Order: sequence, then structure tokens, then C-alpha cells
Amino acid sequence: MHFWDLVKLIMENLGRRKGRVALTAVGVVIGTAAVVVLVSLGLGLQKSATSQLYGISDLTRVEVYPGMNDSGGMAVGKVVMNGGGGGTDQGMNLLTPQTITDIQAIPGVKAVIPVDYMWAGGMLKYGKLEGWAQILGVGVEDLAAFNYPLQGGTTVLERNTAIIGSWIPNNFYDPKLRPGQDPPAPPDLLGQRVILVLSKYTSDGQEIRKNITVTIVGVLAETRGEADGTVYVRLDDATAWNEWSRGTRINRYREGYSRFIVQAEDTDVVLDVVDQINAMGYMAYTPQEYVSSINSFFTTLQIIFGGIGAISLLVAAIGIANTMTMSILERTREIGLMKAIGATNKDVLSIFLGEAAGIGFIGGLGGTVIGWLGGQVLNVVASAYLAQQAASGGGMMGGLAAVTPPWLPLFAIIFAVLVGLLSGLYPALRAANLEPVIALKYE
Amino acid sequence: MTNIPLIQIQQLRKVFTMGKQKVIALAGIDIDIPAGSFTVIMGPSGSGKSTLLYLLGGLDRPTSGRIMINQQSIESMDENALAQFRRNSIGFIFQSFNLLPSMDTLRNVGFPLWFSGISKAQRDKRALDLLRTVGMDNRALHKPTELSGGQQQRAAIARALVNNPALILADEPTGNLDTTSGLGIMQLLSDLHRSGRTVIVVTHDPRMLHFSTHTLYLLDGRLVSEAEYNAAASMIAQVTQPEENPTP
Repeated sequence: MHFWDLVKLIMENLGRRKGRVALTAVGVVIGTAAVVVLVSLGLGLQKSATSQLYGISDLTRVEVYPGMNDSGGMAVGKVVMNGGGGGTDQGMNLLTPQTITDIQAIPGVKAVIPVDYMWAGGMLKYGKLEGWAQILGVGVEDLAAFNYPLQGGTTVLERNTAIIGSWIPNNFYDPKLRPGQDPPAPPDLLGQRVILVLSKYTSDGQEIRKNITVTIVGVLAETRGEADGTVYVRLDDATAWNEWSRGTRINRYREGYSRFIVQAEDTDVVLDVVDQINAMGYMAYTPQEYVSSINSFFTTLQIIFGGIGAISLLVAAIGIANTMTMSILERTREIGLMKAIGATNKDVLSIFLGEAAGIGFIGGLGGTVIGWLGGQVLNVVASAYLAQQAASGGGMMGGLAAVTPPWLPLFAIIFAVLVGLLSGLYPALRAANLEPVIALKYE
Repeated sequence: MTNIPLIQIQQLRKVFTMGKQKVIALAGIDIDIPAGSFTVIMGPSGSGKSTLLYLLGGLDRPTSGRIMINQQSIESMDENALAQFRRNSIGFIFQSFNLLPSMDTLRNVGFPLWFSGISKAQRDKRALDLLRTVGMDNRALHKPTELSGGQQQRAAIARALVNNPALILADEPTGNLDTTSGLGIMQLLSDLHRSGRTVIVVTHDPRMLHFSTHTLYLLDGRLVSEAEYNAAASMIAQVTQPEENPTP
């Protein structure tokens, strides 16, 4: 029997009992719609939760610090002592230029950015105001590599320019402020020239200061993280200022960098990258570890939600089995006739299994459409509610309430068809194995 | 041309188990049916004639004995081989027509070809040719419920011929028809016989004997002579008549 002839025959047979098929399919519609809505809701909640985490920190980012080797007393895994790995200094596995090459060779690593603290001082002057900040030299010309949101200006760093975190203007104060006077408003520093005061001490304890003028070319938006209180400058600027402070040149192969910021290609590979860096003898951290535990919670939630929907489908499956059993009883003589004119057991099995799968498909299709529409209605209601909350100052605007990824409708329809096939299996086998002579004589 | 019969039945026995009781439907019969014959099997209800027909058609399996059709032993065939045998070698005609009510006449006639993987165009062409043969081409697009009993049986005969089988098996083909329609069907079966097919008809209807080349009489699962059958038939008639027409 040709496949399309089989499909046509199945459609005709289903069309013969439209009312019964429709009623049976309603059960599948409800089950599939429940699966689609509940899984969409679970995915929506997960997306909403993780998107807020993304706001705090980029989940593709890994912070790498020098590692303690075994002689240093800390067990940090395998220590690369030679053969192209990092250098060691007093029991430390240093982050050297060679380490950059080694880490970049790990699959899934997009970029390795060396960063260094500026220990030559952290005082800033703007007009009569003074302020303090952590100054960080970064080994990139464009801070966009860090994925920090920008409030204004540019992310491109040139010599003697800086990009500041959102909280830096609040750190400025008037040192000559008298008691009772109002403190000055935080200055708008974008495009302004700020004096960076470097200092070092002579052997007899005298402080020597040096003023460097830097132009603030960009202000970052709030990240609720380290970036808010940091002034970013180019690494070569920071190195030059540190060398001035120390009076000698810095050899990165011997002294290493303070830390690396490693960007992974996507969030899926971050944990692997962290494991491999740790195995090289360095200390790598990522917020992804925290996020993965949140993700596993939401996966469990989705399974529970999906399970609730699946129970509805189980009820629908019983309905399909019942309908098919009734149908086979009514059509026993028809089965006998088909066998008399040459249908094999496999032909009969295919026809009845196909009819059960057809009911599953019709119900799955309807359920998916209704489930998707239900998700959209949920989103509209949730958006209206959240907007109302935000307007009254009672809450933040969240993400969507339900998210239906393209795989979910496809999965739901395939699942519904499988439910149909499974529930039709027993009746179809009964039909296929009917003795033709008994079937023909059935009253 | 060989002298080997188309059908050779040896010691064919069929026993049905009904609860704890065993009912012997066929008590070990031997029959040879030549190719190209028109065989009528006569017998009262319960004589085993329909059982014999279903066994010949591969719709049932014997308890013991042997059925050779065209030198093929069908009792040893597996389910798939039997299905193929029924599809290619046998054309069944039933008392109650067994047309599918959801399909029009054309599609009912072409239905066996679905299982042979024949294309729709070829199915329709072959079905229409056969409907023309049985004088039903003008009813091709009517559903079975729109046809008379005689017309339905003509369509069923066309369906039995669609795979061009060598053997036609008919189970009480005129049982549900009025006299005129029944005679028409008998004539049609006779035409099939004259065209070279082997026809076996199980019937109560003695008019069918006018068309037959061979007649078999069955009583209680045994083959009997015509005289024995007639004696039994008249005895049955005597026993049942007073009850059917009680005198005042």
C-alpha cells in the first residue's frame, strides 16, 4: 500500500466519524495546550530570572587569577610549571603573556583580556573636587569586549582617556566643604578632563606626586557590579604609570598580570572553560556556576509543569484508546473484508495506528495553537499588571511571562502524535490479528 | 493441458470448539475440483458448506487435512503469504455484499488494488472497465446505500474480479436478493465461468444447479450423494412443514 494512499484512507476514515474524532481530539487539545502553556510559562520565568542575572554580570565572562601551586599549600589542580605554561613565583602560577596564548587555545574561548590594577594611586581631581576610585588598566582598545552597558560617550579607549563606572561621579567631594554646607552635586564628567594624581615615595619617605590629565570619554550604565566603582584606562597607560611609581620596568613574563578576563563564546561552554583553566593551575571564577544551579531549578520546574500537562495527555490517551477500541468493534466486518480482499496484518495495523496518530495530530495541532494563544494572552495580562505595578512604583518591569521557543510547538505536536500511536497500539494490534473468518461473521 | 485438478482437498477436517463442546464442521472430506468448472455446493444450514468455502479461500485454517490450489498447499502458508494468495488468486463474493458505505462504487471495486500498490488512475480505469462488464458503469459514483441489492452484488462481483483471479468463491450470492436480481447474478456468475474462470458457489438456491458443471452435496460435514441429500432434505421439509403451516 502506497504511503499517500494510506494517508488518504486514514483521513477518509477519520472523516467518517467527525463528531467522535473531534470529541476525542478535544482531550488531546487540552493536554497539548496545557503542556505548551505550562512549559512556556516555565521557560518565561527562567528567562526572566536569568535576564536579571545577565544585568548583574555577563555570564560568558570568566575571571582568572594567578594560581597557588602545590608548594604554596593550596590544591588548585594540575600546575603547569614549564613547557610553555605560566611562570611561577614564590609558589604562584603567574598569568604571563604565554598564559594568554594557552588559555586562548581552549575551545570555546573568544578573548583573553589581561587587566592590571594601578597601584600608583587612585586619587582623582576635577576642579575643586576630589575623588577616589579603583583604576584598572585593560588590555583592549575597545571596552565593548566587556559587554558593559554604556550610559554615554564611547567604549573606545585611547591613550590618556578613561571610561568610568556609573557610581564614580558620586565619589567626588569638596575637601574644603565647611560644616553645614550642602555637598556638591555629582559632576557630569563625560567629555571632561580629570586629573589623576600618581604618587610614590622616596627611600627617605618623601612623597612625590605626578599629575596626569585624562579625558573621560565614556560613562558606563549601572551594572550592580565591580564596574560601577572602577575607572578604566588602557593597560599600557596603567603599566607606564606603575613603572613610574616603582622606578623600574615591569617584565610580564616574570611578574605576570593581576588577572585575566576571559570571554567565552557562549554560556553553554563557560563551565568547561573554567574547569580547563583550573586544571592548568589558575583560579577561575564565573557567575555561571550560580546561574547553572538556578537553571537546574527551572529545569525541574519545567519538568513538573510539563508533567502536569502530560497527565492531561494521559487522560486524552485513554480517550483515544477507547475511541479506537469502539471503532474496531464497529468495523470488525470491514476488517474481515479488507483481509478477504488481500490486506495483510501490517496493512490493517498501519490503517488503525494511522487513525490513532491522526487523532493525536489533530489534537496536537489544535492544542499547540490554543497553547500558544494562551501564552500570548498570559503575556498581555502580565505586561498590563507589571506596567500597573511599575506606574504605582510598586515593582520593576519584568520580562515576558511565557516564552514559546520554536521547538516547543514541534515537540508538542510530535508528542501528541506519539500519544496517539501508543494509545492506538493495542486496539490496532487487536484489529490486525483478527481472524478474517471471525471478523466477516461478526454481527 | 494437464489432468491435475485446480483444487485438491484431502481428508479435510475442521472442528470448532464451543465452550466445552466440539462441533465437527467438516469430517474429513476429499474433493477434486477441475479448473474452469462451475461447482455448486448445496447443503442445509450447519452442513459445513460455508466453512469449506472459507477454508478454500484461505480465510480460515483446517484442523487437519490438505488443501492444494494450483499445486500450492495453502494450509501451511503464513499470514502474509495467505494475504497475498487471497489478493492474487481469489475473488470473494458474499451474501451481504460487504461494500464499504463510505466509498462510492468505483472506489469499492478498486479497493483491493490499494493493497497491491496500484496507482489511483489505474485503479479507477480497471474498476470502471469491470463496472461496465457487470452493467454498472452508470452507477460508478453512487454510494452503496444508493444502490439496490442486485446492483450492490454486481458491484461486489466486479470487486471480486479486479485482481483478475483464477478462482471465484461465492457464499450465498443470491441469498439477500429478490428472484429477478438473483437470476441476474446467477447469469453473471455463469458468464464468468464461460470466460474461463473457476467458480465455486455455496447456495441453498436450486436454480443455481442449471448453471453448474459440478455439484457437491454436504450433510453434517460429509459429502453425500444427490439421492441421500434429497432424502434428507425431504425429511427436513416434513418435520418443519407442520410447524410452519399448522392445520386448524
